[in-house]
Parts: sequence; C-alpha cells; structure tokens
Amino acid sequence: MSEETVRPAPGTVSAAQLEARGHKRRQRETTLVLGAQILIGLMLLSGMYLLNATAGKLFMPRPDDVLAQSIKLWSDGTMLKALGESLTVLVLGYIISAVTGIGLGIFLGGFRFAGRVFDPFVNALNSTPGAAFIPLIVVWFGLYTEAKVVLVWNAAFFPILINTAAGIANANRELVEMGRAFGANRRVLFRDIMLPDALPSILSGLRIGAAIATVGTVIAELTMAQSGLGGLLAQAGNRFQMDKYFAVVIVLMILGTAITATLRYAERRIGRWRATT
Amino acid sequence: MTEPLISLSHVGKLFGDGQVRALQDVSFELRPGEFLSLVGPSGCGKTTLLRIINGLITPEEGSVTVMGRKPEPGPDLAMVFQSARLLPWRTVSGNIEFALALRGHDKAERRQRALALLGAVGLRDFADAFPHQLSGGMQQRVGLARALAVEPKVLLMDEPFAALDAMTREVLRRELLQMWARRRMAIVFVTHDIDEAVYLSQRIVLLRPRPGRIDEVVDVDLPEPRWQHDPRATPAFAGLRNHLWDRIHAMARDGEALEELAAAFPMEVIEKPSR
Repeated sequence: MSEETVRPAPGTVSAAQLEARGHKRRQRETTLVLGAQILIGLMLLSGMYLLNATAGKLFMPRPDDVLAQSIKLWSDGTMLKALGESLTVLVLGYIISAVTGIGLGIFLGGFRFAGRVFDPFVNALNSTPGAAFIPLIVVWFGLYTEAKVVLVWNAAFFPILINTAAGIANANRELVEMGRAFGANRRVLFRDIMLPDALPSILSGLRIGAAIATVGTVIAELTMAQSGLGGLLAQAGNRFQMDKYFAVVIVLMILGTAITATLRYAERRIGRWRATT
Repeated sequence: MTEPLISLSHVGKLFGDGQVRALQDVSFELRPGEFLSLVGPSGCGKTTLLRIINGLITPEEGSVTVMGRKPEPGPDLAMVFQSARLLPWRTVSGNIEFALALRGHDKAERRQRALALLGAVGLRDFADAFPHQLSGGMQQRVGLARALAVEPKVLLMDEPFAALDAMTREVLRRELLQMWARRRMAIVFVTHDIDEAVYLSQRIVLLRPRPGRIDEVVDVDLPEPRWQHDPRATPAFAGLRNHLWDRIHAMARDGEALEELAAAFPMEVIEKPSR
C-alpha cells in the first residue's frame, strides 16, 4: 500500500496522532517536574553543606554525617526500637479515636436532638489546644504508654468526630426522600444511603486525624516519659547531636508522608464512584 | 365501574404551623390503568399532592385512600423524580437492585430482573457503569427502570422530563407511552408543560395556585396509541391546549387582581406558599 492512501485529508488529525501528542506532552511535563524537584533537593543539600561550613556543625550537621548516623542508628537497633514504641502509641491511640470518633459522630449526626445538645461541648473541647490537656492527662494516667495513647486519642478524636457527624447530618436529602418513597425503613436509609453518602467526609476526618495523631505521638514522647522517636529526638537535641537529631527527623518525615499517602489512596479507592476520576 | 386505585376527597394541606395553605379542597380519583396528569403553574401544590399520595407527608384535612388503605411509602407506588436521584456509589444495576431489595426479592433474582429492565430501557450495556458516567437522559431512564422494577400499581412521576433537553424529552415521552401501553399501570404525571400533558394523558387535573386547588378536570379524548397517531397536529389537540391556556391566562388575571387587592389593603398579608 502506498503512503498516499493512508494519509488523512489535509487539516485533519487522526485519533492516534492526538493520543501520541498528548502522551508526549504529559511525559515532557513529568520530566520537567521531576527535574525541578531534584534540583530543589540538591539545593537543600548544598545549603546544608554551606551552613555547616560557615556556622559550624552545631548549627547544621553535614548531610553525610546525618547519613552515617542514620546507618548506625538503624544497624544497632536503636531506631527500630524507637519506631516500634512510637508506632504502638500512634496506632493504639489512632484506632481508639477512629472507633470512638466515628461511633459518636454517627450518633450526633444521626440524631438531630443529640447533635444540638452536644454541639457547644464538642466545639469548646475541639477549640482547646490539645497541649492544654497534657497536665491533666499526666495526673490522671501517669507518664507512660497509657497516658501517651490518651493524648493521641484526644488529638485525633475531634476531627474524626466532627467530620463524621457533619457527613451524616448533611446526607443528601433528595436521596433520602427517594429511599423513603420506595419504602425503606430508618435502618435501611441509614445503612444504604446516609452512611455511604457520608463516607467521603468520614475518610477526610480519618486523614486529618492521622496527621494530628502523628504530631500528638511526638509531643507525648517529648513531654511525658521520653520514649520512641520523640524521645530520641529530645535526647539528641539536648546533647546537641544534630546529626543524630536530623536522622530521627527524616524518619518522622517519611512516617508522616507514608501515613497520609496511604489514607489518600484509601480515600480515592473508596470514592472511585465519584465523577472526579 | 371498577374501584378507584387512589381517591382524594377534600384534601387540604398547611405548611409552616398552618400559616401557609398549600392545598385546599382537592378531590379526584385515579382509575386502574389510567394516565392522569396534574398540571398547573408553580405554587399550585402539584408536587405536594404527589408526596401526599405516596404517604411521604400527611394532609391536615380531608382523606386519601390508596387501594383502600391509608397511603404509606412502599412498592405499590413507585416514584420518578425530576432528577434521577440515583445512588452515585452504586452501579446502574445496583440502583435498581436497591429498589428490588426493598420489595424483598432475593439476590440472584434482583440482578436478573435489573438486567431485564435495563434491557427494556435500552441500557443493558451500562448495567455495571456508575451513574456519573451516564448522560442526564440515560440517568432518567435508569430512574424509570428502577420505578418499573418494583412493578407498581401506580407510577408517580414528578416532572420527570423537565430537566432534559428537548430531543431526549421527546424520545422518553414516546418510550413512556409504550411502556405504559404494555404494562398498564396507572400513572400520575406532574408537569407544567401543557402540550406534554395533553399528548400523554387521558385525563388532566388542572390546578390553580395560592392556595392549590382544582380549577378543572379535562378529559383528553384523543386516539391511542399516541406514539402511532401523533395527535399534536390535530384540531382536537389544538382545541384542548387552547382551552387549558385560556384557563391559565384567567388564573394569571385573578392573580393580578389579588395583588392589587394586597396593595390596597397592606394589612392583609398574602403569602406565597413555599413548596
């Protein structure tokens, strides 16, 4: 077949050509974004070297010292033990706040009367900075794991509660009326319409809660009996071992990012019926 | 004469602690297999009437019986809304299965029947798509399939085509007529489109607003099936539609007179009923 027969009419573009162009453009953009990110990373690293050279290692550790400390802390098990302690507090506190937050949120969102009664109390407690409760928690629960779990619970509980309650209370009225018109009872309306409709809101509550729970864990470990990654952070900071300190900060950074990314992924998976796919 | 499926006698409905009267002294009957339209300008309580028939709200005055009983939401009546009101997290088939589950069908049967109904509205290939992947007209077809799935004795339709474009609307009207001819359930069809009402229905209840009450009941004596003998070019159709429009213009004149009255006596608050 000669080339002439497959050539489209002048001025028209085949779907394959458009597809190829779009693909090329997207690829170019990805390369550009990645390149810029690597550049910024390199600039941060060289900035660290520069600060280290001009102001000394107390002011800023050398990145290669941080790397060496990281390897040491990971290989002698210090980091793993600290991570384990932190994760215990974080996961326990978070699970308890998820269960209680969603449970109470459903109750307050589903029963308008209860929602109205409790609204000022929830608002007042939510508006109080979590750190204000630390002395009380210490008096009630001591300084160890239980107290830290309570602090994490207290931090993550309210965003989960408030988002769940709002999601249920604002469930789509038109859909609820549709369900009623087809003869659904209250249980079915709740299970098949209000709860699924509130799910995106509940999930964003869980995501915000997870981020706050991570902060709460570190605060608990810094201010109560020192333990876990927060304890390690305090230890290194107090002795001005900035390379060790940075090694811990990097682990916390990765931990926080991983938690948020996981929940974002879960949110997208569960919300895949939405138009924004 | 067969028993009426639905009968309303002297129905009155008040909203907002009795300050706003939405309906006053509305009486009519729906016969088995009948296609009845409720027509009127906005604020005449058409949708309120539909919700009363479905048992979603209860009137303060008068009585309503649906198949000899007090109306309550359930599968004897099925509703098609102006927007499709599909559950966005369920597939097209899942939405129909939802209605079937409420009627107590078991799981395997639900799927089978949902697929059969989707075939009837020409959407079999979209059974596993999500509603947001469908056009407005297709979504409304799913809404119709969901209502038909429960095999209702009465189909309640609340301006089902009002939000669609003119071409889709025309196609769906024809499909509705064919569906009705095959199944012969009774239909109560709410619309503010006079032509649509005359084209589709056997009887038209014309309502007037503030408060909503019956202006006139008009028999539509046009040959059927109407998708074969399109009546819209006939003199009989024009006569009916002109008659209905005359009545509506008369209502508008009364409305103006009412507003003049309100201006003359500012103490008299004439409230607009909210729907």
